[in-house]
Amino acid sequence: MPSVHELSAPYENVMLGPRRGPDVCGICFNFTAGFARCYACAHGHNVLDAIAPISYSVGREQLHHALASYKRLDGEVARRLGATLAAILWRFLAEHERCIAQAAETDRFHLITTVPSSDQKRDERHPLRHIVGALVGPTRTRHARLLRNSDNPVPPRTFSEDKFTATRPLTGQAVLLIDDTWTTGSSAQSAAAALKHAGAGPVAAVVIGRHLNREWHENDRRLRGIARPFNWAECAVCAEPVTQPLHHF
Amino acid sequence: MVALLRLGRRPWVEYADLVEERGSASAVLQQELSDQAEPGGQASLLSSNAPTAAELVAQSTADLERWAAKRMRLVTVLEPDYPPNLRAVHDRPPIVFIRGRLTSEDARSVAVVGARQATPAGLDRARSIAHHLVDHDYTVVSGLAAGIDTAAHTAALAHKGRTVAVIGTGLDRAYPPQNERLQREIADQGAVVSQFWPDSPPSRRSFPMRNAVMSGIALATVVVEASQTSGSRLQARLALAQTRPVFLLEELVGAQPWARECAARPGAHVIRDPAEITAALDRLIGPGSLVA
Repeated sequence: MPSVHELSAPYENVMLGPRRGPDVCGICFNFTAGFARCYACAHGHNVLDAIAPISYSVGREQLHHALASYKRLDGEVARRLGATLAAILWRFLAEHERCIAQAAETDRFHLITTVPSSDQKRDERHPLRHIVGALVGPTRTRHARLLRNSDNPVPPRTFSEDKFTATRPLTGQAVLLIDDTWTTGSSAQSAAAALKHAGAGPVAAVVIGRHLNREWHENDRRLRGIARPFNWAECAVCAEPVTQPLHHF
Repeated sequence: MVALLRLGRRPWVEYADLVEERGSASAVLQQELSDQAEPGGQASLLSSNAPTAAELVAQSTADLERWAAKRMRLVTVLEPDYPPNLRAVHDRPPIVFIRGRLTSEDARSVAVVGARQATPAGLDRARSIAHHLVDHDYTVVSGLAAGIDTAAHTAALAHKGRTVAVIGTGLDRAYPPQNERLQREIADQGAVVSQFWPDSPPSRRSFPMRNAVMSGIALATVVVEASQTSGSRLQARLALAQTRPVFLLEELVGAQPWARECAARPGAHVIRDPAEITAALDRLIGPGSLVA
């Protein structure tokens, strides 16, 4: 029986914890050129009350590959990748669910659900639901499938209040949304909108990987400035902001 | 896939990503060729008389026939029998050539690596690790180099176990030349794997690339003896970057500053006894639910 600590430890070498700072989007932790919000968040709908990406997920690197592969593959390798992602989520939430609840102005989350996949077929048996609903200790007892893709198709990477529909009324309940990857945030924000439409109280999101491309702008330099190995004791929400942009040449 | 790689417009690992995203190599090939046809398109700057898809495919079909005649099998990342552990790492090659038979049991494998110029004690340790792994139904993966690699392969074969060589040349070559016979033996009883075109000679770049595949094909890497400048040190680093556990022998950590630094990293384990390797892996890959 593998322990959460043992399974997640090797990932500490590749996980890069987002931190607040002057050139970091205050909503989604994307790197910016001195702006308080990145382009997507400045022009999008910010419905979520708090957002905590566990790590940056850099295109073509190991965490990115794991986040794509656990749902693309099947068999033993997919099972092991899923167990590892579950261990990461478990360890993170055990330490930081409280900080995220506090940021969303609630004492706790009553319900935990996942953002549906826009791929209808994939969503029918999405491994993330198994992770959150069965594998992860801190989530499995509060997990419920609260969202489904709605019947009106919405183009990918766009926000829409009608992208998802809630499966039940959620009068005043605080909901934690889990997703594997945040790219523009349109799915998670649309999911939050559907939950609030159904009456939910505070809604926060935890995503495993906040997607970035290393080649874009200053991303490579910024990513190389992040302390390694990954520190489980701090999260994007509770860590002290980085006051000076780090310069690594 | 062969046609796409022959076209060779991008680093191979990008092709692995693209074909997995699209689920088809010919779709990516068509895309690459239409980018080129597009006037002012990026690829049109590179070449004006590039081959057509039909030419590339015809050439590749001839390649495949030639390789099959030499008992080489090519497996692409889109095929179900691509090595499963390798598929899970970010720096996997889009194709591997296999001579011999890679079985599904070979996924339960550990890479045993170390110095070419090994001490007698190091060679003994490599052999006893290989024996232990075979006794616990693990396949012994190594790189067919002189020294520790040879000791690990030979001990696994002598102990009637499975062994897989991941080599730094094409399958038509043997390096070092004196290991040609061992290479044949491993192909007969296990498998020899290469990520390079079959006629590729050894090169300074090919060995480090091979280390990433050797690490990726196995569940974990054990470093027996290795200096500051060795390929095994590089493999330890690559394995950690692939989130694969690394086991370092206590004697190695005592003797080498790089190994002490490596031992401090998450995912690295210092071991006294080969039994610690199998105990840790049986737990990590075993079934059963997670515990806090």
